[in-house]
Amino acid sequence: MIAVAPSHSTSTAVLVAYDLWKLYGDRPVVQGVSFSLYPGEVLGLLGPNGAGKTTTVGMLYGAVAPSRGFVQIGTTTVQDDGRSARARMGIVTQEDNLDPDFSVIENLIHFAHHYRIRGAAARRLAGELLAQVNLQDYANHDIFELSGGLKRRLVLARSQINQPDVVFLDEPTTGLDPDARQEFWKLVTELKQRGCGVLLTTHYMDEAQRLCDRLILLQQGQVIDQGTPIELIDRTVGKDVVEIEGVEESAVQSLANQAQTWIRAFGSGYLLALPPMDSHLLWEHLAALNPTRLTRRRANLEDVFLRLTGSVLS
Amino acid sequence: MKYPALSSWGVYSVWRRHAKVYQRTWLVNCLPPLSEPILYLVAFGYGLTPLVGTVIYGGQEVSYLRFIAPAMMAVGVLFQSFFEGAYSSFIRLNFQKTWQALLTAPLSFAEVFLGDWLWAATKGMIAGVLTGVVAVIWGLYSGWDLILALPLLFLGSLLFGAMGLLTAGVVRQVDQVNVPIFLIVIPMFTLCGTYFPRTTLPPFLQGIAGILPLASLIDLLRFPLEFPPFWWLNVLWMVTLTALFGGLAVRTIYPKLVR
Repeated sequence: MIAVAPSHSTSTAVLVAYDLWKLYGDRPVVQGVSFSLYPGEVLGLLGPNGAGKTTTVGMLYGAVAPSRGFVQIGTTTVQDDGRSARARMGIVTQEDNLDPDFSVIENLIHFAHHYRIRGAAARRLAGELLAQVNLQDYANHDIFELSGGLKRRLVLARSQINQPDVVFLDEPTTGLDPDARQEFWKLVTELKQRGCGVLLTTHYMDEAQRLCDRLILLQQGQVIDQGTPIELIDRTVGKDVVEIEGVEESAVQSLANQAQTWIRAFGSGYLLALPPMDSHLLWEHLAALNPTRLTRRRANLEDVFLRLTGSVLS
Repeated sequence: MKYPALSSWGVYSVWRRHAKVYQRTWLVNCLPPLSEPILYLVAFGYGLTPLVGTVIYGGQEVSYLRFIAPAMMAVGVLFQSFFEGAYSSFIRLNFQKTWQALLTAPLSFAEVFLGDWLWAATKGMIAGVLTGVVAVIWGLYSGWDLILALPLLFLGSLLFGAMGLLTAGVVRQVDQVNVPIFLIVIPMFTLCGTYFPRTTLPPFLQGIAGILPLASLIDLLRFPLEFPPFWWLNVLWMVTLTALFGGLAVRTIYPKLVR
């Protein structure tokens, strides 16, 4: 399932990152990352662990000071006036930083105070936000009673207090079970429908493919490619791939060379991109090798990543 | 930190968050600031008065209870504001990630820092004033003098709160908070003229004890017994240390939050 990208020509970017660099000593962690985020768009920042995703997000909301470059939200520069910039942002950090001293609903009520929402208005808003993320039955629970998925939902609710224009979701579903991930995806789609610009970092390719209109692939702090999921898959891998097991490396390698297609080790077997022309020929040759397993499937973002980064995502 | 954005609302909002946590269990929270200095007052007061009777302070004879009452106010300020700044802020910074969460709201570092600092000072004030009220009821300190002492208690609370925050910024593990406690807090508690006039100490120790900031606070709080001739020097010393520790605390905590 691929989301439909909104038309950018008719809308102005809600957030623009200009040439972001971050160096720790001499070690570059982020190198020249630039992009725009549009209203109603989900932009995915993908990369293996240590690619610089969280550092980049940190620079977007002010938790990391860029070595070079800056971020603008509307006319406000985050690096000059982080406080005003954050008034328009919703931030779901990687770590849960809910207030264990407060109950579920108090977490929202007291946080709303930082946005100058008080008293009855704060209580009403907290109730609405809990209902939005389906936590209304947990209002008076303690934080430690919540599962990982419920905590994430509460952090998301907290990020919506100010009806933000931009929402940052930094690996929001890491460690969640499939059910909880599905629930969270639904909420992200709702944000998009409300016109929020959503920036999502993840190392789950299925999640990126499902949710993101546009993707930026990061490796060692650099943008190695970007585009819609379909564009990236078509451009990098093609339509279909083959997974093959139980064959000699030399045999499969020479077949790939003949067909001039991409191949790499994959699990205990190999992964090949099927070329657009004469793909049935390659398939027949592969079948003739008598593999223990031979599967043809649609190419996906995981394959894109394997091809571009040459590494398996952890 | 190029543009240290600061609004009184932001500082208040952070302070209020800590106050709300405190309020949830206020009865339990009120026990230590009330009981600790009062216990010292009662124990040492009743325990030592028969042995000591009176103390010569500022050239006049003073009953032992009247002598230690202002010091117990200062001790309450010291313990409560230092521990809030050190332990509680360390936990909020490293375990609960409260600071990090606050910095996802439209709050600046300066606001979160000042909110925490003022809260540490507030806890010192609660302890100092509650002890002062007990001293007033006991007839050891006059009500007017307590009102006049409020700015001093607040200055002391800010000073020891800043020491606590600096500790929270420097230590890597919560156990390491014990180091400044044993190196500074306990020596201050015992040597700075709390239970006996510092004049009884050998000159070398007297010099050290006199430099420690609790000595300045205690001397100032004893103004009804003797107005310290160099009171302005004591105040200046406390203000200087407050600014120094506060500044150092910013420099140690800021890099933890904005990398």
